[in-house]
Amino acid sequence: MIDLLSSVCFGIGIFFWFWGTWPLVGNRSVLFKLHSLSVSDTLGSMAIIIGLLLKLPHEWPLLLLALISLAIWNTVLGYVLAYCASGRGRYD
Amino acid sequence: MIGYRDLLLRLTIWFLLTADLSWANIFMGVAVSLLLPTFGPRSYTAPAILKDWLQIMWEMIVAVPRAYFEAFEMILFPHDREEITVEPSKPRRTPGLLFLDIFLITFTPKTIVVKHYEEGRHEVHWVRRRRRR
Repeated sequence: MIDLLSSVCFGIGIFFWFWGTWPLVGNRSVLFKLHSLSVSDTLGSMAIIIGLLLKLPHEWPLLLLALISLAIWNTVLGYVLAYCASGRGRYD
Repeated sequence: MIGYRDLLLRLTIWFLLTADLSWANIFMGVAVSLLLPTFGPRSYTAPAILKDWLQIMWEMIVAVPRAYFEAFEMILFPHDREEITVEPSKPRRTPGLLFLDIFLITFTPKTIVVKHYEEGRHEVHWVRRRRRR
């Protein structure tokens, strides 16, 4: 049962990765691409780590740390990229 | 002097990283947390702030399922329209709370904060569903 659940999490994560990365080659604005990247990189990777957490519960401290770091770093870098892409910052 | 929130954050990271609750490790963790320098100005004596922190912690927990819900919405229905709105931020925020406000908005996939103005506004970029005519 746990194996099935973790496989579902892996599946969702990998699907999110491809779905969010594909628009990168498209012809949209940087900000639009950032929205789909936050689906793939943040939520997809988090789903994969939750799958790993179900499979290797004894490694929970490191996986939890990875989960928190992923959420914070992806989001903050997304904000930094959006800020730079808008091109109206005082410091760029 | 270090604030209790900084101490809590450092100890959490230390224990998650080392995964060891022996006395020696607890002692080392506390020592390292106290010895590391603090960065930037901190406000220690604001009574209403603890309530704000608890509220934003709760909002962060709720934001995770909402983010997945929005992700599935974006996958199932094409969100082609982009727009930028300017939204007011909550009054009297410390830099830490302001960081978490921006984090919360940017974490959900449909919204990204593009810019924050000092006078208390965010510029938020949205993707929205195409309207059927």
